[in-house]
Amino acid sequence: MFYYNFKYELKILLRSRWIQLISGLLLVLFVFASFNGSQKIEKRKAEISKAREAVKTSDARMLQQLDSIEKGHKVQVARWMVPTSPIAIGNYYPRVAAMDPNEMGFIAVGQSDVFTHYVSPRVSADDFSINFTEMTSPIQLLFGSFDLVFVLVYLLPLIIIAFSYNVLSEEKERGSLRLLASQPISIKKWVFQKLGLRFFWMAVIITVISLGVFLLNDVVSISGLLSFLALIFCYMLFWFSLAFAINLLVGESAKNALSLIGLWIVFVLLMPSLISQTGDIFFKIPPRMQMVQEIREHKAEAVKKQDEILDNFLRDHPEYAVNDSAQSRNFWHGYMASQNLLKEELQPLLSSYDEKLEEQQNWINKLKWTSPAIITQRALGRLAGTTKQDYDTYQEQVLQFAEEWRSFFMPLLFNNGVFTSELAKSLPAFEYKPKSDNYLVSSLLGLLVMTCVIMGVTVSMYSIRSKETGILGS
Amino acid sequence: MIKKTIHKELKELFRDGRIKMASIIVLLLMVTAIWISTNQYNRSNEQYEKAKVAEREVWDNQGEKNPHSAAHYGTYVFKSKQPLSLLDQGVDKYTGTSIFLAAHTRSEAEYSEVADQSELARFGQLSPDFILLYIIPLLIILIGYNSFTKENEMGTMSLLKSQGAVPWKIMIGKWVAIFLPIALMTIVLFVIAGILLSTLDGYTPFKWSSLFVLLLVYLFYYVIFINITLFVSKNVRKSGVSLVLLLGVWIISCLAAPKAASNFAESEYPYPTRQEFENTIAIAKKEGLDGHDPWSDAAKRLEKEVLEEYNVDSLHKLPFNFNGYRMQKGEEHEAAVYKTHYEKLKNQFEKQVDTYITTSVISPFLPTRLLSMGIAGTDYYSHWDFADAAENYRIAAQKFLNDDLAYNTKYGQRNYVADADFWKKLPTFNYQPPGLATIIKQNTFSILVLLAWGLITSALLFNFRTKN
Repeated sequence: MFYYNFKYELKILLRSRWIQLISGLLLVLFVFASFNGSQKIEKRKAEISKAREAVKTSDARMLQQLDSIEKGHKVQVARWMVPTSPIAIGNYYPRVAAMDPNEMGFIAVGQSDVFTHYVSPRVSADDFSINFTEMTSPIQLLFGSFDLVFVLVYLLPLIIIAFSYNVLSEEKERGSLRLLASQPISIKKWVFQKLGLRFFWMAVIITVISLGVFLLNDVVSISGLLSFLALIFCYMLFWFSLAFAINLLVGESAKNALSLIGLWIVFVLLMPSLISQTGDIFFKIPPRMQMVQEIREHKAEAVKKQDEILDNFLRDHPEYAVNDSAQSRNFWHGYMASQNLLKEELQPLLSSYDEKLEEQQNWINKLKWTSPAIITQRALGRLAGTTKQDYDTYQEQVLQFAEEWRSFFMPLLFNNGVFTSELAKSLPAFEYKPKSDNYLVSSLLGLLVMTCVIMGVTVSMYSIRSKETGILGS
Repeated sequence: MIKKTIHKELKELFRDGRIKMASIIVLLLMVTAIWISTNQYNRSNEQYEKAKVAEREVWDNQGEKNPHSAAHYGTYVFKSKQPLSLLDQGVDKYTGTSIFLAAHTRSEAEYSEVADQSELARFGQLSPDFILLYIIPLLIILIGYNSFTKENEMGTMSLLKSQGAVPWKIMIGKWVAIFLPIALMTIVLFVIAGILLSTLDGYTPFKWSSLFVLLLVYLFYYVIFINITLFVSKNVRKSGVSLVLLLGVWIISCLAAPKAASNFAESEYPYPTRQEFENTIAIAKKEGLDGHDPWSDAAKRLEKEVLEEYNVDSLHKLPFNFNGYRMQKGEEHEAAVYKTHYEKLKNQFEKQVDTYITTSVISPFLPTRLLSMGIAGTDYYSHWDFADAAENYRIAAQKFLNDDLAYNTKYGQRNYVADADFWKKLPTFNYQPPGLATIIKQNTFSILVLLAWGLITSALLFNFRTKN
């Protein structure tokens, strides 16, 4: 029976042009969406490499100047930019701390349009002055991007619904259900096989198209492709299981379609917005203005007491006072010492914001299990490396690097040392290391569990009902 | 005949359990959304008031200080929530609400909400505009998709015709029967919002006229959706097919087109990255006068010009302190640089808007979206207007401070500090958002496109010649 089902179903799908239509539609959507995604990635890559190029050029100039100075020649630069001064190097020759896109970046724009992908921390700037948000038209942020995640999370379920809402009801409406009921197969099994075959063909089409799209985007990681496909298949399974449930439990074609669309609205539109809103309501983040004002107060205080702060700093760091017999102190000594103090003082304030944000995130993380759309969106975003979590990791690493950059120059500054071409070789460099966790497995499991629950409930409900009214009764 | 059709259709609607259910859900969602956004509105007004007062206090009480130190210390201005943001939040979430104003630099608005939120927030939020823009059109489709197909399926169309019913009368009857409940729901929502707004304390006065225009925009949007729905239902045989087609229209119009338009807009008219933008400005600034640097060529040139103008041979003989004067001239040069580059950015944005308008050909959603947030005062134009006002205030404040340096000190005088009371003399920042007339002018194209959509769909709907 399965063999017949397989054969005739394929014939029907081909003759009704469903397979052709879906292949064409998916091909167009996938290619357009991945083109949009990769366009952003290319732009990002170009910007980062341009910034790196600029550093290379200015480094070459710096080395040239250092070389001249070390040989005893005069150089033509403003006196505050002479590269023997450690502060000049720390301020005017910053490194590029960039977040390079990963090769799957094109599948999800995610938060990449909100945040910047490279910054250049300077020695005299504090952590609050590093602006991590990108200049993007807010309308663009409001509308979002037509990327693969949009196609997969929003549109794919609708295609599945259009592809499967009337599998059983059509037979009923055409009158062929009676013929079917006379066959040696249960209706349950028959719908299951029919939907299973549709799932199979759709999966085949998606695999082929994804393969093409990934090749076009030079993705070499096979595990990446497999994770991507596994996620889509599990998400598809969820929607097919809903279609199975509605087909067996509802009845008329139009009613089926309406019920499925209703479920789509709930899972894809309403749940995510409700959940993110509850996060805002239950875990209110204190207004950022309060933070800004406290920072300002601390800064004003620090400016007033700069001399005192410097004395205290030197007392805490006797190593700086020892090596230098001249003990000459200028503006930068006081400034850097007070920056140091400011950072320590403001740490608790900043952490309190981070904690609140984390609480909010944890809450959302718990609730995400109520909507497969959220699970899939997050997991795909993680694959692409463009979720808020990825940007948090990057920003954290940048702040660490900024600290490393400052610490490199602090001993030099306080010992009134001179920056040399030898030291230029050991300047700290930034490398972004993405954090990975087991989000993929848990997401896949979550989707599968949902599917199983829906299937189980449907089968048991259907059994009860068909015992009461019979297969043909309604 | 028309009356009878309306009567019959409405009765059928109220008897249909699904539609009853759906309408109740939509109403519930509306109430929740209004409740949520009223809370947000109150909270942000409170925060705005607090921040504004606190910041002015900080400025007023900074004590004896050199005016230019105060200029670097700077001050903040804040954007208050617009009353109609209760109905349409627009891009508020994506723009910051506070702008730092200090010497030599124009800053962008800081701390947008979206930067603190996860990607989940990008799904959208449950706010009245979400329901008005996305959900009600769906409800229209739900009510109307089988308006004509059911007559065909049940065979009642021929009965109707045999009774001598004229097609256009049936059409008007069915049209009104969908429009009435939808319009009623929308009007109730707007009246609630209006009453709420006239009782709540806001910082920008609430105007019923704006609310009324907003209501008209939405009703017109629904007219277009009703036209499309009935058009499809009339021309298709099966209810199922009609539903699927209409959902396709909804998806393209409300979900796909805006996203695609945003991709087109970005690839055609990209914004520079923040770093690029800052670099270009830094380079442009260097080409002119730096108020802090008396040795530069530009400073020397200025010195010569001023001496010639006042016909004196030494800076000491000028009737003002040249250092303060140079600081102000430097500030003016920098302000001009910012003006040019922000002007360019704004141009880019306006070209992006053109792209959105062009894409409106396949989506009545787009012009409605733009118009709605325009009227609500929460669109990008409004943000620009606020940012420009803040910049003008910054320039005026810098002049106020530099003039004190120029006219109350002598050339060469060191360690000058202004009185502790001096800061209070700086006028406060009073921002008035643009009026309805300006907004309508800004959005002329959206209005035209929306009108065209209405006219064309109506013409299609009431064109009966091809049939019969």
